Amino acid sequence: MSHPKMSNSAEAVAVSSGPSRGGRSAAWTVTIVLGILILIPSMLGFVMKFRELMAITEGGTEGGFAITPVINYLLASSGFFLLLVWAALNGMFRDLERPKYLMLENEQELDRND
Amino acid sequence: MSAASISTGAHAEAHTHHDLVDEKIVRWYFITALIFLGTSMVAGILMAMQLIRHNPLNGIEIFSAGRWRMIHTNAVAYGFLANGFLGCLHWSIPRLTLQPVFNKHLSWLIYGAWQFVVGATAVGILFGEAQALEWGETPVWIDPVAQLGLLLVAINFMTPIARMKGPMYVTLWYFMAAFVWTFLTYAMGNFMPQYYVGGTSAGAVGGLFIHDLVGLFVTPLGWGLMYYFVPIILKKPIWSHGLSLVGFWGLAFFYPLQGIHHFLYTPIPMFLQYGAVVSTIAVELVVTTVVINFFGTLWGNAGVVKTNIPIRFFYTGMIYYFLTCLQCSFQVTLTFQKIIHFSDWVVGHAHMVMFGVFSMWIMGMMIHLFPRMLNRPWASQNLLEWHYWLSTIGVGFMAGDLILLGVFQGWSWAALEPWDASVDFSYPFWVLRVIAGLAMFGGLLAFAQNIRLTMQAAAKEKAVRA
Amino acid sequence: MFESKSGIVFVAGIGFFALAFVSNAFVPALMYKNIPEKKVEELITPNLRYQFEDLARRFPESFEKAYGTPPEAPEENEKWWNEQCATALRRGHKIYVGEGCWHCHSQFVRPVSNEEQRFGPVSRSWEYQNELQRPVLFGTRRVGPDLSREGGRRSNDWHAVHFYHPLDLSEGSPMPDYPWFFDGSPDKPNERGLAIMTYVQWLGSWLESYPYYESYVPSPLVKPEAEEEAGQ
Repeated sequence: MSHPKMSNSAEAVAVSSGPSRGGRSAAWTVTIVLGILILIPSMLGFVMKFRELMAITEGGTEGGFAITPVINYLLASSGFFLLLVWAALNGMFRDLERPKYLMLENEQELDRND
Repeated sequence: MSAASISTGAHAEAHTHHDLVDEKIVRWYFITALIFLGTSMVAGILMAMQLIRHNPLNGIEIFSAGRWRMIHTNAVAYGFLANGFLGCLHWSIPRLTLQPVFNKHLSWLIYGAWQFVVGATAVGILFGEAQALEWGETPVWIDPVAQLGLLLVAINFMTPIARMKGPMYVTLWYFMAAFVWTFLTYAMGNFMPQYYVGGTSAGAVGGLFIHDLVGLFVTPLGWGLMYYFVPIILKKPIWSHGLSLVGFWGLAFFYPLQGIHHFLYTPIPMFLQYGAVVSTIAVELVVTTVVINFFGTLWGNAGVVKTNIPIRFFYTGMIYYFLTCLQCSFQVTLTFQKIIHFSDWVVGHAHMVMFGVFSMWIMGMMIHLFPRMLNRPWASQNLLEWHYWLSTIGVGFMAGDLILLGVFQGWSWAALEPWDASVDFSYPFWVLRVIAGLAMFGGLLAFAQNIRLTMQAAAKEKAVRA
Repeated sequence: MFESKSGIVFVAGIGFFALAFVSNAFVPALMYKNIPEKKVEELITPNLRYQFEDLARRFPESFEKAYGTPPEAPEENEKWWNEQCATALRRGHKIYVGEGCWHCHSQFVRPVSNEEQRFGPVSRSWEYQNELQRPVLFGTRRVGPDLSREGGRRSNDWHAVHFYHPLDLSEGSPMPDYPWFFDGSPDKPNERGLAIMTYVQWLGSWLESYPYYESYVPSPLVKPEAEEEAGQ
């Protein structure tokens, strides 16, 4: 059960993700600058919208319902988050790329047995 | 981990394709699916002819264009897509899990029950018994049977997945989710608005239903099958399995609750509408990762697209998928909705995704599987090319035509032009749509003829050998 | 399954997911719990009764065939009309759904795109809290105009002719013919024809603005003679 293709691709990844030190620090700078550029306005936007939501929640008799969709999304997302944790606990992401090779091997073996 | 791999290896030796896959049911599902696709296209053409006032059957109750319009959408969703997918599932799940389905007799029972559901839906609609829920027009008295059918489908296919050991391939993630989601979505859409909630809140549920039927039934099955068939045809693994799981979980996180974007500016509370808009745009990012993954897989083998017809169908579908989703992330914004809501833009969008993506994929899978099942190549490469080009150009043409028309209609309405004006200038666009529809139908006929020729040749060969 | 940590997480995950599905449907329902859902009998307004009685006057034979004759006693008479009107409304709704009318005509006026000017007051939640909006008929496409304020705008005669053969009245209309609503000619609507007309006239009958007409400015270019000709 050797994975010739896997070792190839692993090498390829190692080659592509191993630039020189200078390149790496430049990449970090770009990442940080972009991060700040994107995060500051979006955080501002989020805080403003959040305060708006709070205001809606507090005012009016039906205001409380403004929270419900938020809760809805949180419920659905936490459901999926727990499923993700379950999958991780079961070791499903331990060797992330293995299933794709296994699948092809199974196929080839089935074709051979046929 | 190594123990698991050894045990799976041992399974592979113990099982042969013949034990695992019931080829007969796959074939039956495919043929049935194509018959329903033909029906649906005839119905669509009938409606399109009505719009250009040349419906030859106008004024005959049983052929009323309004009723056949419902047959059109339902036959595609439940007759073609569901049957086509079930056929592919009967092939791919046993081969992926190395486990047969839960029960082969149950498979045939499901086959029969599902055809009953689709047939009864058609008859119900033709006799004016429709339920007022878009894509859920299935008469209320059939809904429980359909629900039971979906449960049985889930049991039949979840069992081999559950019995499988070791880490799951991304396809199975999609499939598992699809079985659970389809069941829930159907129940929610068909029972809630009918019996439990009324008014605008039912609108919210209805929107969720239309949308989730695409996103939680058709999409995961479609992508799951792509993740299976593309690597095995290209004979190389998917570019990144990790990225494919990002796509899956992204779909899971963002998709389920965005259906309300179908009813923006309705009396549904505004904050529910905002939430739907934001998560819809988020899903576009997820889509991009999936599309990148598939093109990464194709990288270096692009020539295959020219020679291998199934791969060509698949990747054409993916390009259409990307376009539809891109279009979607624009059209859900309130700005776009002002203009394009209620217009032919939406109709163009729906055709691009249902035919341009999922039907293309299913037909591609059929083109890949029929020769394997019949043990001989396609009778005519020429007809395959005709099938591909007529379908691709037809749907591209139709979608472009209708999307453009939708913008014109929206502007005309907003400008308070007389209503008739919007019908008058739609006429040439609607004529073009009929032509595009006929091209797509021609593609299907070429395919059907090809299947007939190939099957005849296979039968002849069998007779000669005997 | 429950003995392992991951098993509990799995069950919780499915649970949360199902909960979200349920709350997504129930929360909007809760929101409108202060607006009770109306039965068809509660939807009959004088506006609608006028139209229904008008049907009886215009198509007396058809009406009698479909609904019989009203009783003489004034109290029973009143009750009879309301009952028949409710029956017609229910039947009309079923036809509206079964014929797929809602795939080409929407039933809600949006607050954008000048729809208020064209169709009338913007739709409100309470308008949909009734038995005939189950499931709700917002619609997804407008080939023809929105119908939620259509009632009263046109006479029953107009509707009869239009259902029989739309092209006679609206030039270029892609609407199909519905001859099966009639016994052979537009002046003889059958039970289905009367029901669908009642339903269409009901749309918007709950509003102050009934019947709604868009502001009409006569074109200075049309001469009176030409108008008369068009009228004939």
